[in-house]
Amino acid sequence: MKQLKRILHVEDVPSIQVVTRIALEKIGGFEVLSCPSGQAALEQVQAFAPDLILLDVMLPQMDGIELVRQLGQLIDLQQIPVVFLTGHLQPERLHELRQLGVRQVLSKPFDPLQLAAQLQQVWEAEHG
Amino acid sequence: MELPQADPASTLSMTPVRELSRLAALLRYEILDTPEESAFDDFTELAARLCETPIALISLVDDRRQWFKSRVGLEVSETPREISFCTYTILGEEIFEVPDALQDPRFCHNPLVVGDPHIRFYAGTPLTSPDGYNLGTLCVIDREPRRLSAEQRDTLERLGRQVIRLFEQHLLAHRYAEQAALQQAMLDSASSAVLVTRPDGVVTSVNPTAERMLGHSEQELVGHQLTSALFRREALQRRATLLSNELQTPIEPDFAVLTAPLHRGRREMSEWRLRHRSGADVPVLVGVTAIHDEQEELRGYLVNAYDLAYQEQLQLRLQQIAAQVPGMLFQFHWRPDGASCFPYVSEGVEQIYGLSPGQLAGSFAPIIARVYALDRSALLGSIREAAAELAPWHIEHRVEHPRKGLIWVEARATPLQQVDGSVLWHGFVTDITVRKAEQLELERQQEMNRRLLEALSEAVIACDADGCLTLFNEKAKQWHGTDVAPVPPDEWPTRYQLYHPDGVTLLRPEEIPLLRALHGEHVCDHEMVLLGQGEPRHVLSNADPLYTSDGQPMGAVAVLHDITERKRIERLQREFISTVSHELRTPLTSITGALGLICSNVMGEVPEAMHELLDIAQQNSQRLNALIDDLLDMDKLHAGKMRFALLRQPLQPQLELALRSNRNYAEQHGVVLQLGTCPAVTVEIDAMRLQQVLSNLLSNAAKFSPAGEQVELSATLSDGRVRISVRDRGPGISADFRERVFQKFAQADSSDSRQQGGTGLGLAISKELIERMGGQIGFESEPGHGACFWFELPSEGLAKESP
Repeated sequence: MKQLKRILHVEDVPSIQVVTRIALEKIGGFEVLSCPSGQAALEQVQAFAPDLILLDVMLPQMDGIELVRQLGQLIDLQQIPVVFLTGHLQPERLHELRQLGVRQVLSKPFDPLQLAAQLQQVWEAEHG
Repeated sequence: MELPQADPASTLSMTPVRELSRLAALLRYEILDTPEESAFDDFTELAARLCETPIALISLVDDRRQWFKSRVGLEVSETPREISFCTYTILGEEIFEVPDALQDPRFCHNPLVVGDPHIRFYAGTPLTSPDGYNLGTLCVIDREPRRLSAEQRDTLERLGRQVIRLFEQHLLAHRYAEQAALQQAMLDSASSAVLVTRPDGVVTSVNPTAERMLGHSEQELVGHQLTSALFRREALQRRATLLSNELQTPIEPDFAVLTAPLHRGRREMSEWRLRHRSGADVPVLVGVTAIHDEQEELRGYLVNAYDLAYQEQLQLRLQQIAAQVPGMLFQFHWRPDGASCFPYVSEGVEQIYGLSPGQLAGSFAPIIARVYALDRSALLGSIREAAAELAPWHIEHRVEHPRKGLIWVEARATPLQQVDGSVLWHGFVTDITVRKAEQLELERQQEMNRRLLEALSEAVIACDADGCLTLFNEKAKQWHGTDVAPVPPDEWPTRYQLYHPDGVTLLRPEEIPLLRALHGEHVCDHEMVLLGQGEPRHVLSNADPLYTSDGQPMGAVAVLHDITERKRIERLQREFISTVSHELRTPLTSITGALGLICSNVMGEVPEAMHELLDIAQQNSQRLNALIDDLLDMDKLHAGKMRFALLRQPLQPQLELALRSNRNYAEQHGVVLQLGTCPAVTVEIDAMRLQQVLSNLLSNAAKFSPAGEQVELSATLSDGRVRISVRDRGPGISADFRERVFQKFAQADSSDSRQQGGTGLGLAISKELIERMGGQIGFESEPGHGACFWFELPSEGLAKESP
């Protein structure tokens, strides 16, 4: 079974970005690429070739959902699970997200100690 | 042998006018057809004897016959005028003599000549009245032809004149009798007592009224001195003294007292008190008239006494009635020339003007002097005006009362026009000082109330018992953009733009606070929106029914308090909290996350010395997170943005989950959580929200329980609902906190937030959440014996769900 190794993380708030990256690197032992915007993610996603994408919904310029749409045109989201981290999501949009390949929505504020395990679960559910 | 008739024309050769006057004169004597009288018979007897005839007659000739007042030697009492000899006699001035009727062509065929009584001789002298009318004749008749001697003719003429005198006397006697009867009738029927005296005052007759009034019969009075019989000595003495002074001549205290003024040409009436037979006094008004005969000789006096007892009674009655009237009664006489007087004033004039009735006998100047100077011209003007229009008079004015000071009086009177052009007023005056003071006080209070109402920042609206709007204060007019109008309550919502708090749904009439109050309800803080003027105005309405002092409904009043600004500030506050919460959320997440990573040694072993401080930082960052969570929840609930994913599910697993989730927290407080009974039911809930509520209740219970105690979570079923209870053995809820338990930021003691942690929002949020899920929340507690918080949810039995 393929191991979850590379995670593309999109988060515009630097402090959250740091806490999240450290939690994933230190606790999960993952390789994390943090992008501060959707644009940066789109530019780097193919080069980075992530196993999983973790992103916020509220992003400047381009929101998370739009970003997923555009990512879908660059990479095969059937193979790369997308996990949202958000405090603001209407339940009816959940369905829409699933259509786009979003596997899981984790609520903010998240527990950084749990986050790596939660992503591992998503990964295993996909490849288990 | 056929005899020619006498020519009737020749018998009536008198002018008709003179004949009519003659007949009238005859009738005046009223002697025709009267009975025989010896006085007349003496004359016919004398005539017959002196003229030596067998027949003598006093014949009166009227229009159709001659009638005999007296006759000698003849049986018939009258004969037709056409055949009478006397008809000829009354045409002339002197004796008419027919010596032989058979030889006289005027009578030779006369039935009285050719037949019974076979007259051959006739001689008659006309009976001429003093005014020159021949009324009839004194005549002598014989059955033989003859002539009267000169002496006999003279005798007959003298006798004729005597007969006329007798007629005159007869007439006078008749007149006297009539007059006497009339006078007697007048005396008898007079309503005053009439006593007739001789010149010396001795009573000669009294009328029945006098008998009745004085109790004496006529016999008892006649022959007695009037004054000594009926007048009191002292009164006569007083009057005599008075008159002596007035007339400058000594007057004796006897009958002279009554007659002396008369002799000085003064006809006067004087008041006396006469002695009744019973000894009582009879008040009378006495008038005296002298009786003179034709020779101007004094024959006596007529004394009239008018009974004043009735007037006195009336006067007394009036006085008694007037004494009962608060104020004064009066009769006031106003002449066009300005002269005036008070024919009557009751004693009450002292109360009103500080005057006695006696002081007003002459004029009403004393009253004017008492009227407050500034009110005088208005008073006089109103009198003149009412007198001119003869309209009811009503005026209020002030009086400077010598005893009471300045008082207010009210006068009313009705003017009556008299025949002489003067005006007679009947009216009364009352002291209205107290009423006036009350009225002024009332006006002052009303004015103050009005100013108060206008000064209020609340709108005040009132209606009467019929639902008719009676009052909008200034604010109400301003807010509604209109004043009260006779609009039926059904139209109030549209007319005054009354809406639900949402600002779009019109109130139904039965929802209007004022109308609810009119139906007896006490309405408290009913929120509504007025759209009358521009921006929607949010108001809280309080309304109450109004009752009269005896408990009758008299309407309702509503007070509207403008909370638009408060609502705006509340909204700003919410927005601010919402914004701040959101803004705090991200940095807090970073802090909490970072601390979590450090404390879990992910970044390497934390030195021992840092543990305590890092724990404090971590706990407080979590507490801040909880506060932010609650604030955001509250915000969502308020804004209606909280989503509920309702799902029917068994209750028991939810209770077990809650117990597990909170066990750690409880253990930190040394408290054990226990699950009690739980019926097999399902509830339709949002599991996450239910857990939030349970967590809240359990953590509260654990927090307030003494260490070592238990907190029990259990559920019971009743009436289709399940009640979930959390029972602790803490200090319970104090009485003064009970009301506020479910309010936002409510904590029993402000120090609790520091000692016990918690945001003060938990129970408020729990209440909202339970209510949104169709339930109810509450608690029972006795201070010192713990508390039991519970909530109820609609439930269904499990069996139905899983057949």
